[in-house]
Amino acid sequence: MALFPLTSNFQEDFVLQLLAVDSDNTMDEVAAAAAHHSVGRRVAARPGHIMRVRRQGSENLFPRTMRLKDSGLKPMECIEVVWEAH
Amino acid sequence: MAVLSRMDWYDIARTTNWTPKHVTEDELFPQELSGSFDIPMDKWENYDEPYKQTYNEYVRVQREKDAGAYSVKAALERNKIFETADPGWLSVMAFHYGAVARAEYSASTAEARMARFGKAPGMRNMATLGMMDEIRHGQIQLFFPHEHCSKDRQFDWAHKAYGTNEWAVIAARHMFDGMMTTRSAVGTALMLTFAFETGFTNMQFLGLAADAAEAGDWTFSNLISSIQTDESRHAQIGAPLVSVLVANGKKDEAQKMVDIGIWRAWKLFSVLTGPIMDYYTPLEHRKQSFKEFMQEWIVTQFERSLLDLGLSTPWYWDQLLQEIDSQHHGMHLGVWFWRPTVWWNPAAGVSPEERDWLEEKYPGWNATWGKNWDVITENLLAGKRELTYPETLPVVCNMCQLPINQTPGPAWKVRDLPLDYKGRTYHFCSEGCKWCFEEEPERYAGHLSVVDRFLAGMIQPMNLEGALKYMDLAPGEIGDDAHAYAWAEKFRAAYTKNTA
Repeated sequence: MALFPLTSNFQEDFVLQLLAVDSDNTMDEVAAAAAHHSVGRRVAARPGHIMRVRRQGSENLFPRTMRLKDSGLKPMECIEVVWEAH
Repeated sequence: MAVLSRMDWYDIARTTNWTPKHVTEDELFPQELSGSFDIPMDKWENYDEPYKQTYNEYVRVQREKDAGAYSVKAALERNKIFETADPGWLSVMAFHYGAVARAEYSASTAEARMARFGKAPGMRNMATLGMMDEIRHGQIQLFFPHEHCSKDRQFDWAHKAYGTNEWAVIAARHMFDGMMTTRSAVGTALMLTFAFETGFTNMQFLGLAADAAEAGDWTFSNLISSIQTDESRHAQIGAPLVSVLVANGKKDEAQKMVDIGIWRAWKLFSVLTGPIMDYYTPLEHRKQSFKEFMQEWIVTQFERSLLDLGLSTPWYWDQLLQEIDSQHHGMHLGVWFWRPTVWWNPAAGVSPEERDWLEEKYPGWNATWGKNWDVITENLLAGKRELTYPETLPVVCNMCQLPINQTPGPAWKVRDLPLDYKGRTYHFCSEGCKWCFEEEPERYAGHLSVVDRFLAGMIQPMNLEGALKYMDLAPGEIGDDAHAYAWAEKFRAAYTKNTA
């Protein structure tokens, strides 16, 4: 367990934000932490959707249960958190 | 005895270069401080300043200017502008004084460097007057807000701001240090007087003086006009220098410095002038949108100056034109959302009528920034103000030091531009900021942004309270909505209908 800062770019938000998460967090937990700073503050919630994480510029979503420490992401690397219909 | 007219003796009086005997030319004008690109001494004599003024004339005119500005202030002290002005206008004043007063004083040292180390005698003359201009601007913009300090502690930031680590101050200091206090005489002339003053502030001060008059603040309007007349003189230090550099085969060197100066000035403008023109200025007093102002005065006029002097438009010109349409909307939203971290009260400027104006001036605004403001407005109407405050920091650019932001909503264009340099990853908001870094990496590499400082444990405790302490924002100084959220109530009827 270790503090792992990321740069959060949440879909349809306007700004990059500092995201303090843990290296043991799963991608679903990372997405939820990112949502805390965007959804319901400047981005409207989307019922019937879940949030997925990908590396900035990549089309590939990280598996939902993948832990941050296994993702290959570097501290402060920019992740995109995007909606997915569920 | 008859007195010779100025132009009968001016040329003789400014021919002040000499052949040094006790020291070498390089010792007299060290490269680091002069930045003269090995252009021979005699070539610098061709520098021909367009605005010729003697010291005698300067003292007389400046005395009249000061007498005018101070007498208007004295005459209007009882007209209660503080009590009667729109709160958005008071925010413009508090913001302006904090961001500008001590930067002007600092600029006097930059002018002094040109006055001492410029190899062109005409430049030294003009910069001597410019140095005194900037001392005056520092002093007068500290004195004028002082009368408001007893009513509002935010006006104390006219003096306090530059001594703090408040994030907007870090951004302003980074830019001004980068273009004027750490540059040679030539670098300062190109970046400060040509790119920043000729390109941006000279026109911006004209607009600001007009806005102040519209808002009924004649004291501020006179003050800004008085300063602008100085700017319009000493801003002309740079243009004849460009001519000397181009004539001596140094166009590329001049172009690079001008390009850096314009880009850096633009980013500061997007957070300082953009929100003031399009959001803080009361709707009925807005003459022009920020975009219209930028297109008419900065882009069209300044582009002509560049080409007339033999330079080209900067490589990023298309990108700059795009940003004029968008960048300041996000800067404004960011400043408003992180409002406890600024020394002024941001005016939201998004009432129904103001949103109509924004949509008219910036087609698509409602479908982009408007989407973010919709959520904020609904939270205010639902009594959830706590959700309109941040619980983390925005990631800021390692060049402009401003939040990395772009168009939100379905068009979503936000992205980070990272760069690895000597084992550290830097984050940039734009190709322009990244390019500035890549051109001179060692100049900037050691600087820590406010986010870097947070992650390094320099801000304790690691929360909003710690951040406010680090930024030296005391109770009574931290920003809040300028109109106490009254604008949101105008949406109440529609909100009640939708949620019924």
